[in-house]
Amino acid sequence: MLKKIFIIVSKDLKIDLSQGHLFFSVALYLVSSIFVVYLSFGSVGIKDLSTWVSLFWVLILFGSITSISKSFLHESKKRDYYYYFLLSPTELIFSKLLYNFFYLIILCFIAFGFYSLLIGSFIESYLFFYFILVVGSFSISNCLTLVSAISYQVRNNSSIMSVLSFPIILPILLILIKITKISASNFSWNLVQDDIYLLILLNVITLSLSKILFAYLWRN
Amino acid sequence: MKWIKIICVFLLVYVTIAGFLFDVPALPILNEAIRVLFFHVPMWFTMIFLLFISAINSYYYISKGRINYDIKSNEYANVGVFFGMLGIISGMLWAKFTWGTYWTNDPKLNGSALGLLIYFSYFVLRGSVKDELKKAKISSVYNIFAFAMLIPLIFILPRMTDSLHPGNGGNPGFNVYDMNSQLRVVFYPSVIGFILFGIWITNIRVRIKFLNK
Repeated sequence: MLKKIFIIVSKDLKIDLSQGHLFFSVALYLVSSIFVVYLSFGSVGIKDLSTWVSLFWVLILFGSITSISKSFLHESKKRDYYYYFLLSPTELIFSKLLYNFFYLIILCFIAFGFYSLLIGSFIESYLFFYFILVVGSFSISNCLTLVSAISYQVRNNSSIMSVLSFPIILPILLILIKITKISASNFSWNLVQDDIYLLILLNVITLSLSKILFAYLWRN
Repeated sequence: MKWIKIICVFLLVYVTIAGFLFDVPALPILNEAIRVLFFHVPMWFTMIFLLFISAINSYYYISKGRINYDIKSNEYANVGVFFGMLGIISGMLWAKFTWGTYWTNDPKLNGSALGLLIYFSYFVLRGSVKDELKKAKISSVYNIFAFAMLIPLIFILPRMTDSLHPGNGGNPGFNVYDMNSQLRVVFYPSVIGFILFGIWITNIRVRIKFLNK
């Protein structure tokens, strides 16, 4: 099973590498939206921590929705049947989850680098912030991969994906925003303990539901 | 089913009369507005109950594959969202007279509004697929996923931050120790009555759908 997952992941990676514009379009989307934020705040810049954090995660959210909505897109119709014989749905969804997870980590770090370059950074405890970025991309990819599978089935992708995912991603996003604000001061485990536990709980829910529900979704 | 209807009518008539006429504890600020407890809170109980049944029906649909379950789950979600909207409206009226404004930036309020948004997008999803079976399958999957995300949104997140809403952030609510027994006499029948009412409405809607088919 692990081997098959790695094969699918490496196949996706090869497709993305050979068609470099796929990754760069999403990265450019993020970078240009950061630039829009930078220009719209003008010379004053963002002076306020909560604005900084909220805008950052909203940008990440838009970027991740754009990138994850593509995750099933370059599977052509005929390849569905091919996968159907070759793989179990669990292997397929886990490989997509893993791939989206790595994809989002890269996007998050690019976004943070550019964001802090242009707008400046409020972060004090960097190690914890990087941890949040990794955990955040893990949670977002867990939540959105199943939604992208749903919207892939609808085949009317662009609008339905965002309509379906915005309300669902919000609990995760709110927790992420909350703990990112904490990373702007000295890190203390007591401050974030409850939120981290809740985030783990949400991830357990989304992961297990993705595994169970995708099997039904994939079957025709 | 017949007994459900009789009990429901009996309870709701009792709740309407008792809710407006019985004595309630006189508290500062709240005054008579405390009576909203008999109508506002049961709306949310009913919504959660109906949405839960809707999710269960969705699960039955994807595991057994009979279209009837999907129709049922759709109707339960419809009626549940209707009750949720009634809950929001009654809550807004109460907030106007107690907090001084219809809407504040409060986690409980925003959570419940988002919960309704989740189900609106569920209806959008249903509307955007033409094929009957595919619609049933996709929307069932989304319904289960949505219900699982609704629970932290309404029940867990507001309790972790400060909230004005009774029952959250250290405010007294309808806990065992907080509530006056005068209120309880009306509150519990009201919860049961409205839940039965919701089931009744859904039942009628499901029967209409079946007849249309």
